[in-house]
Amino acid sequence: MGGKGKRREKDESINEGGDEFNCKPSTSSTETKKQKQILPSTIKNKEKRSEIHSKLKRQKKLEKRKKLKARDAAEKRAIELGEEPPARQVPRTIENTREADETVCKPDDEELFAEIEADEFSAVLKGERVPKVLITTCRFNSTRGPEFIKELLEVIPNSHYYKRGTYDLKKIVTYATKKDFTSLVVVHTNRREPDALLFIGLPDGPTAHFKLSKLVLRKDIKNHGNPTSHWPELVLNNFTTRLGYRVGRMIQSLFPQNPEFRGRRVVTFHNQRDYIFFRHHRYVFESKEVKQANSETKGKDSKPEKKSEDKVIARLQECGPRFVLKLISLQHGTFDSKGGEYEWTHKPEMDTSRRRFFL
Amino acid sequence: MPRTTAVECPGCPPLRALSFDILGLVKVIEARRKQGGVPKVVERWGDPDSSKCVLAASIDDRETNPVFSLSLPPLSPIPLCVCPTVRLFLLAVARKNGLVSLVPMTEKGYKDSCFFHSRSQFVEGLSPVSGELCFSISDTDAGTSPQDDPIIGLHLFKRNRSDSPSRSCTLLACMTKGKASLRTVEISKNGSASCATKEAWSVCSSGSICCSKVNGDESHSVFGGKGVELNMWDLEKTSKIWNARSPPKDSLGIFTPTWFTSVTFLSKDDHRKVVAGTNNHQVRLYDISAQGRPVLSVDFRETPIKAVAEDSDGYTIYCGSGSGDLSSIDIRTGKLLGCFIGKCSGSIRSISRHPEHSVIASCGLDSYVRFWDTKSRQLLSAVFLKQHLTNVIFDSKFSDEEIAPTATDEVQNEVHNEQQSEGEPEAADEEPPVKTKRKKASKEKSSGAKKLKHKKKKAKKVEASVEDDTLDYENE
Repeated sequence: MGGKGKRREKDESINEGGDEFNCKPSTSSTETKKQKQILPSTIKNKEKRSEIHSKLKRQKKLEKRKKLKARDAAEKRAIELGEEPPARQVPRTIENTREADETVCKPDDEELFAEIEADEFSAVLKGERVPKVLITTCRFNSTRGPEFIKELLEVIPNSHYYKRGTYDLKKIVTYATKKDFTSLVVVHTNRREPDALLFIGLPDGPTAHFKLSKLVLRKDIKNHGNPTSHWPELVLNNFTTRLGYRVGRMIQSLFPQNPEFRGRRVVTFHNQRDYIFFRHHRYVFESKEVKQANSETKGKDSKPEKKSEDKVIARLQECGPRFVLKLISLQHGTFDSKGGEYEWTHKPEMDTSRRRFFL
Repeated sequence: MPRTTAVECPGCPPLRALSFDILGLVKVIEARRKQGGVPKVVERWGDPDSSKCVLAASIDDRETNPVFSLSLPPLSPIPLCVCPTVRLFLLAVARKNGLVSLVPMTEKGYKDSCFFHSRSQFVEGLSPVSGELCFSISDTDAGTSPQDDPIIGLHLFKRNRSDSPSRSCTLLACMTKGKASLRTVEISKNGSASCATKEAWSVCSSGSICCSKVNGDESHSVFGGKGVELNMWDLEKTSKIWNARSPPKDSLGIFTPTWFTSVTFLSKDDHRKVVAGTNNHQVRLYDISAQGRPVLSVDFRETPIKAVAEDSDGYTIYCGSGSGDLSSIDIRTGKLLGCFIGKCSGSIRSISRHPEHSVIASCGLDSYVRFWDTKSRQLLSAVFLKQHLTNVIFDSKFSDEEIAPTATDEVQNEVHNEQQSEGEPEAADEEPPVKTKRKKASKEKSSGAKKLKHKKKKAKKVEASVEDDTLDYENE
């Protein structure tokens, strides 16, 4: 019996089709309820399905617009009456529902400052040592690898490219330490596509291994700019935990600590959900004439007073590569794949939640 | 709904642990039964200073301590509310700047305010600010700075050595470059400590020492390191009694260089069996009465073994690796008993076994001290301590006095128990119906195919069909 009933419903939905959603609740309340529950995905006829789907979508859109309008009106009214406007709802995102983490740094933690004072990067970050970066590759390097390195050399000031040859990485580390480099960057390429970055702090700094993805080179960016050779400004976003601080300081130690603001170059490392987004921009401040037509003056004065004012706006132009990094491991000491001690490695058992982040 | 994981913390038995970190801080962690066994940092000793990085630590927790017990009763201007019952323990901490400090502790830790205020008067040798007794242990005549030749091993003797004066304690210290020495530290009346070298010898000529350990009855000690084979010394006669032989080349003719990273004695009263962890991820068992080569060698994971600790049962070994894997191994057979899984992401530097409870503590570069149950291998709880940790030690004499069963506590406990016992049946009640529902549903489905009908179900089905009918009528 039940099965028969279901089939009948389906038939109805197909037969009635379009006017099903416009029909008024004149017949009986139970019927409309039932009909509204039918999902377009259960309809087998494609044309019908798409038709109903688009209709549903439009309806939703209209509803949403109506809701927004009502909210704005309410806000306006509240402001006119001099009341507090109703609090806007904050959407719930993965970031703001992040799992509570006790490793997040607090600004008044003296132990944190003592540790920062004592860590491997403090000499560079205090300006006692000038950052000098050696960039090399894995053994086989072609197509996008060299182009990427060419752009990296423009991004990081005082960086030098050395061919990898057949040297061991440990030998390169000792060589670079002797030559007074402060960090070593290895671009790893797989299938002619850069896929990993290795940052090594010298002489005894940690080793960070990043997965590199979504690499877009300069020539593939529309309306890209060409950077000057000025020292860039650095923006590090959202590095909050102890581990994040450490990674952030490591990235910071690649760049000179006193940017040349004349160059108007910004290098951004933005951390979001443990992915570090790299962007490289030029900015310019432009003054723009803005017509000001105040509603208050309009109402009072008969002559609408046209007032033009110079307003400074900032414009951005992207240049340089664009890529995403994800931390795989942070190793204590310089590169040592066999005998290394890890400060942090990713383990599958740590993935207990989508809302747990480490940086 | 945000999918979150509640950290299941079964809680620890009452215990006290001391953790040491790279900023030279000593943190006291206590778990009391009253607080549900959640360990908390109770005290922090010292100020953060990277030059004071703790390299080794040792605790002396015997019943009577001759160093301070003599000076205690006469020098007590403050009413002795705690003194007659207070027992003092000594903690020796070796730091990166070549200093060794002795920290006296009471049974209740430093928290005892009476003790805290009068500490400097009780124990003359202490500076009133830090409450520590610092002295240098490095040889100045050798011309090496303490940074070049840091202390790697430190042991504070529990047994009073026969020829030492009463107000002194004995230390075994071992430097990275192989200088080992027995020292007596004498505390004079005016508050200064003098350190006299009793015996000094060189453990190795080349290489660097990475680990050392003194056995349970403090008669023997074993050293090992990078390029140094394990060797055992008799501390009474200060003579080398055994040296390990390097393992043979493997089948490909490749010789792996010696590099011991951790060592421990298998049981307390037997100095002949030694377990060592190597840098090429092996745990080896040596028997000095058998041979110079390892009796047993077990591979564990891919990263170097950084910490090894023994259980009191005499055959279980806990080993921690450079990538944060902790596991227990039955060393008689070499079988892996199981791993301790608990999101441990940094290298494990130190493991310590609680003398009474079946609890081990591990700490390391991920700056957590974790307490594990040895039997179930469950994480009991974890405490975040902000810095890279170097050492963790249990205080065996910790007594959870506050749990002395007062009336209110018992009532509370009972209430709690009742609540629990009430809660459980509810949960039990809730669950079965779900199950039965599922069963019914599945049975209904299957009954359609098999055409088997129970009487009860038949009745229910009839009901259902009646409902359907009514709906149909409505539709029509």
